[in-house]
Amino acid sequence: MEIKNVVVIGTGTMGQGIAQWFLQQKVAVEMVDSNYEFALKSHAKIFENLDGLLAKGKLQSADVANFKQNIHVKHLEKINPEADLVIEAIIEDKEVKKELFKKLDEILSARSIIASNTSSFPITELAKDLSDKRKNKFLGLHFFNPATIMKLVEVINGLETDKEMSHKLYMWFNARGKVACECNDAPGFIVNRVARNFYGESLRAVETYDLEKIKEVDQVIREVGGFKMGPFELMDLIGIDVNLSVTESVYRAFFDEPRFKPHRLQKEMVDAKRFGRKSKKGFYIYE
Amino acid sequence: MNDTSLNTLVIIETNHPLYEQIAAHHETRSVEDALASFKTYDLVFDLSALRTKKKITLLKELAKTTKAEIITDLTLAWGEMVFKSCPQVTGALSLLFYSPTAAIEYSTKSEKTKQQILEFLKSIERHGVEHTDLKLGFHYPRVISMIVNEAYFALEENLATPEAIDLAMKNGVNYPLGPIEWGQKIGTKNIVDLLTEYSEITEDPRYRLSRELKMTGKNI
Repeated sequence: MEIKNVVVIGTGTMGQGIAQWFLQQKVAVEMVDSNYEFALKSHAKIFENLDGLLAKGKLQSADVANFKQNIHVKHLEKINPEADLVIEAIIEDKEVKKELFKKLDEILSARSIIASNTSSFPITELAKDLSDKRKNKFLGLHFFNPATIMKLVEVINGLETDKEMSHKLYMWFNARGKVACECNDAPGFIVNRVARNFYGESLRAVETYDLEKIKEVDQVIREVGGFKMGPFELMDLIGIDVNLSVTESVYRAFFDEPRFKPHRLQKEMVDAKRFGRKSKKGFYIYE
Repeated sequence: MNDTSLNTLVIIETNHPLYEQIAAHHETRSVEDALASFKTYDLVFDLSALRTKKKITLLKELAKTTKAEIITDLTLAWGEMVFKSCPQVTGALSLLFYSPTAAIEYSTKSEKTKQQILEFLKSIERHGVEHTDLKLGFHYPRVISMIVNEAYFALEENLATPEAIDLAMKNGVNYPLGPIEWGQKIGTKNIVDLLTEYSEITEDPRYRLSRELKMTGKNI
């Protein structure tokens, strides 16, 4: 399989990281965002990152010059209709995503692959309104933040996805330093599902807000479990609101399976606007 | 030996993952031999891998044979219930589950017992992390058991291969081990026992076991 040109739609943290990673694989990249000015800022940030890598001696100046010529900001209607791969990394809103996929289905040639970077929505459901000829060229490609550093890409097969095509993509990523893992289409895929009780069970060990107990659980999980961060430190970093939203989404998608039930302490923190590091207050206080 | 001034017994079965390391430094006996012995001790470390009911029965029997203070492994047992039922138990620790580090969770309300636990752990090249006010159980075993159980549910549903699940967790969220290999190192029987115990104590369906894990960890 050859991937020579990629379109990344959505230029927030994830989209920007994905675009930069492809660029560094010598793939031509087009960046699209519903807010064109925002895409330009993200484009400038990638230039800044490349310059930073050059200054640290991690990239050669000739490569950086080539990379910079190989990335462009586009309006959706002007993207390359012959793109090998289009990756959606917009907000986690199912209806907005489905609307985008319908537009892409019309714009792109029959050979283009469309992938969603969704962290939680079922791939089969996102493909629902695509044309019959496109459905088997649709899959999930779930990157992890920061996409330029984190190696994992979950390659997710929807019910209609062409397995031979997705396996070739899996091989393509593995040949370029990513660790691709193939999985079927189930809520949360692998990571966001298996990791749910890292948080859920820790919340139940604490039950109500108790800073000393929270510190204790974090310390035990780091020092005995060997995890880099404790569950509460990590929730504060991710955002307690984001973590609650993923938990609710997986819980609903499994039709209220008790293993995924959110905990009232998460909700209480969100209600108090204690979202974590980003609001300077979460399970811990950051001043 | 532990504290040379104390006559210490460690109750441990030969199939315990730390048996050889502990037996190299301490006098050991199996549960059966310990209950049959009339030798007196100052301190007893009971490292039997038992769930609450059997643990309390053992500790009560043990109390008939010795006046020694008892520090017991409560990895698989309901912590607060054991403390309430067995006054001779002054401290608890969790040595049964494999850990990728040398740290061990322990709990006690007495400074003297804390020092005894820390000395014992030092003798087997481990160190302690304190868990205050032990309620249902120790943090590490309960959190890791739930992660491993979910990975087995994923296997049961054919979500991905065991290798893919392990790789995903190590590379996506920096887990030190993949949950399938982690479960195998801990021993899936221990995880089945712990979650069965939690399910019975709490009656909370969140502790339901994966069929796949049950098949791996339990001889039916």
